[in-house]
Amino acid sequence: MAKFVGSRSRSKEGPRHVTGRGLYTDDFMLPGMLQAMILRSPHAHAKIVSIDPSEALKNPNVITVITPDDVKQSTRPFRPGRYAAGLKRPIDEYAGAVDKVRYVGEPVGAVAARDRGTAEDALELISVEYEPLRSVVDVREAIKPSSAVLFDELGTNLAWHGALKYGEIDGAFKSADRIVKENLKIHRYSSTPLEPFAVIASYDAASKRLTVWVTAQVPEVIYDGLREALGLQDVRVIIPDVGGGFGQKIHLIRKYVVLISLLAMKSGRPVKWIEDRSEHMMAGGHACAQEFEAEAAVKNDGTVLGLRFKEYDDVGGSISTLTIHFTNKLNNLSNTYRTPNISMEGFAVVTNKCPVIPNRGIGKPGMCFVWERMMDRVAQELNLSPIEVRRKNLIQPNEMPYSTVSGNVYDSGDYPGLLQGLLEKIDYDKLREEQKREREKGRLIGIGVVIGVEPGGRNAARDMAIFPEMKEPPGSGGINGATIKLEKNGTLALHLGSPNCGQAHETTTAQVAAEVLGTTPDRISTSIPFDSDLSPWGVAAANSGNNFHLYDIGAVHGAATRLREKILKLSAHVLNVDSKELAIEDSTVKVPGSTVKQVSFAELGRIAYNNQHLIPDDMEPGLQATYYYTFPHAKPNIVPNAERLVRAQFTFSAGAHAAVVEIDKATGKVEVLRYLIVGDNGTVINPDVVNGQVYGSATHGIAVALGEGFIYSPDGQPLTVTYLDYGKCSTAETPKIEVVHRPSPSPFTTLGQKAAGEGAAIPSPAAIASAVEDALTPLGVKITDLPLTPEVVWRLVNNNPESSRRSY
Amino acid sequence: MKQTINVTINGRLYREDVEPRLLLSHFLRENIGLTGTHVGCVVGECGACTILLDGKLVKSCLHFAVQADGREVTTVEGLAKDGELSVVQEAFVKHYAFQCGYCTPGMIMASYALLRDHPNPSEGEIRKALSGNLCMCTGYVQIVEAVKDAAQGLKNG
Repeated sequence: MAKFVGSRSRSKEGPRHVTGRGLYTDDFMLPGMLQAMILRSPHAHAKIVSIDPSEALKNPNVITVITPDDVKQSTRPFRPGRYAAGLKRPIDEYAGAVDKVRYVGEPVGAVAARDRGTAEDALELISVEYEPLRSVVDVREAIKPSSAVLFDELGTNLAWHGALKYGEIDGAFKSADRIVKENLKIHRYSSTPLEPFAVIASYDAASKRLTVWVTAQVPEVIYDGLREALGLQDVRVIIPDVGGGFGQKIHLIRKYVVLISLLAMKSGRPVKWIEDRSEHMMAGGHACAQEFEAEAAVKNDGTVLGLRFKEYDDVGGSISTLTIHFTNKLNNLSNTYRTPNISMEGFAVVTNKCPVIPNRGIGKPGMCFVWERMMDRVAQELNLSPIEVRRKNLIQPNEMPYSTVSGNVYDSGDYPGLLQGLLEKIDYDKLREEQKREREKGRLIGIGVVIGVEPGGRNAARDMAIFPEMKEPPGSGGINGATIKLEKNGTLALHLGSPNCGQAHETTTAQVAAEVLGTTPDRISTSIPFDSDLSPWGVAAANSGNNFHLYDIGAVHGAATRLREKILKLSAHVLNVDSKELAIEDSTVKVPGSTVKQVSFAELGRIAYNNQHLIPDDMEPGLQATYYYTFPHAKPNIVPNAERLVRAQFTFSAGAHAAVVEIDKATGKVEVLRYLIVGDNGTVINPDVVNGQVYGSATHGIAVALGEGFIYSPDGQPLTVTYLDYGKCSTAETPKIEVVHRPSPSPFTTLGQKAAGEGAAIPSPAAIASAVEDALTPLGVKITDLPLTPEVVWRLVNNNPESSRRSY
Repeated sequence: MKQTINVTINGRLYREDVEPRLLLSHFLRENIGLTGTHVGCVVGECGACTILLDGKLVKSCLHFAVQADGREVTTVEGLAKDGELSVVQEAFVKHYAFQCGYCTPGMIMASYALLRDHPNPSEGEIRKALSGNLCMCTGYVQIVEAVKDAAQGLKNG
């Protein structure tokens, strides 16, 4: 009977956060530290003709300026990562612009001064001569031969194009009763973490050691980026409290870490850089705008025989994340459906906009949007209920574990059960009757029901599926570690391999370790900063990829189990009994029933570090254990085979979502009256934490569907550079999310746990689109594009086509 | 040209020389070392830097430090006494009304001021009162629950 796993447990992060004692990168001060500002491009597309910092440097408090020449001379371009591997020819991408700027806000240089105000003033004194070029912000325009070209090396803005086919797609379309087609669009948005990018770099020139403190999600990206760009051997990456990640702080931030490190190396002083909100909105990375041409081959009874789609990704002005939104669709390519034939064709198009970055689920919300919009469309064309069409195609619980057409293995799940649970809980039939009555009164009320999987635990080799020419994967599967130590006083200290960005890693891992070790979570402390010198970490040490539940929990459980064995061995020796007779309860090892034969963790701690004569000869002293975890069921298809079958992720959570909305005809505003999720996150370790992840991710997906988004003028100027422009939802606009758990524990993971981070952000945009379309049924309106801002909805209601020339 | 200001912060008087353009948020963080006041936007939209100025709820990034001269400031560090959490803080911990913690100090200050002035808020009033504080992580559900619970706790003394 589990004592802590699955129970409420007091938050370990809470006390420091509610008292303002969290420590984020901006909270650290180093002696002699300078403050940096980034010089950014005001042009969407221009050649850098010359740059002259001499005026700025006349102020003695301005210590160092770096220019494109410094970047070119003192740094090396990043090696193309797994998302740039598809480039037809390699293109050097440096940390800053070196010859050309390709989006507004692109870093051109940087200043370090004795205080931030002086650095900000200095930016205005650097004179940069640009030769403006024609810019392009629209994907379809960008691939025309007449378009301005961002990368001369490519000669085209179509930076990558490729396809994957699974099953007999052509046969499926030939044998179909009907082919259902739709063009769909998702816009640019992001999760806009409240803590902006933040970096401190300190370089010890005598020992050639660079230390950075950075708000980042994936240590590997920072560590490798610094070593590649600066050619250093000795790099230490420290990640303190992170004020929200969501994918924003994985990739693009490495550029700034390199630029700030270069300032630290040139000035010989520690340098801090804190990004402004407007800098983040224009240049901190956006989720990719995706356009789809989707077709479903269906039978008259609603069976979907095949799905094929073309995807046009607006990847912005960088080549380093070209394919990320496309390849992430391999993670949930089948969603919850049995459809045996699926093909996908991707076009990665560079434009003069902010580069795209990973964002909560990356391409997965887009994949779910395609599936769920198509399911509604199939139902409409066949005059069937949208619920029945979904039911008809769901993977059944008795088919688990289920191998999908692209090589994923779904570990567990009861999708019909989730859907049924949702319909019962929301009282679907009654809701439809109410809708009918209210519709007669003229109210536009809509109900949307969708379902989606939430993959967890990334396979690092996934992207090889689209790069058949790639011989060696950049990594494969996932590896992450944890270290646990019993201290001299009987408490425990835990080191995780990956940073915490607010998902309660300290609380959750303490519950797991306490369960294994027979102690209580309040006696376990987890070290907060990730430190590449100390933390046991591997390729899965990433606050991304929905990795935590698979890899970190696996590692912590493994380390605690290993430590338990050592504790029992030492105790058996001390108590002179067989270790098999021992039990651990409340931090005391004892022979059950005996009041004499027992020894406390504190006594064991003193022995293990101080008393050699009490330690068995065949035992290593100390009570510490490290464990590196890999998913033991990662094969087959850990590396893509000849058919391109690959395990993209390893665990599969799922959720059925229902949205009930009402549309105000006069304003076009969509109000969410009710939002319910029946979810399967496997074994829930801490219900409050998992609920928090579901609430937060659902809220983001809903807000994205209803209007959050980045807008550009036709010449590439970003028009949404504050939270208000962007349309961030507050407590006033956010609906109350309801969550019901219906877990199907994974048979393959340590405790049956599955992922819970990206979760509800994946199906929620589709749920809102479905509900809004349902509300507008009397008007015959179809929803194909996001976002559904009041303006967009008002135009749909009033049959008033888009006149604006703005571009998402 | 620096100016000398006298500001009482969490009950203690500070005398500091500051540049007129220094924001109150940055003064609290950098001059006084009270880093619980977070900065998320510097234009008054996110609420992470919310404090009490002479008892009134304000966004400290919208004030200059010199405007606090002769006045009283309460920051999130001023709420707990000797490690004992205030009722609002305890409710936030209990309900997991935070994730990354970055918006939390501002949320706590806004909740504290709400309950001080309106001890029995409805859910709608809570949502309205907190609408100047953005959170990117939680979806606000547990924050609203925490404030409701804190209201109950304050009533029960």
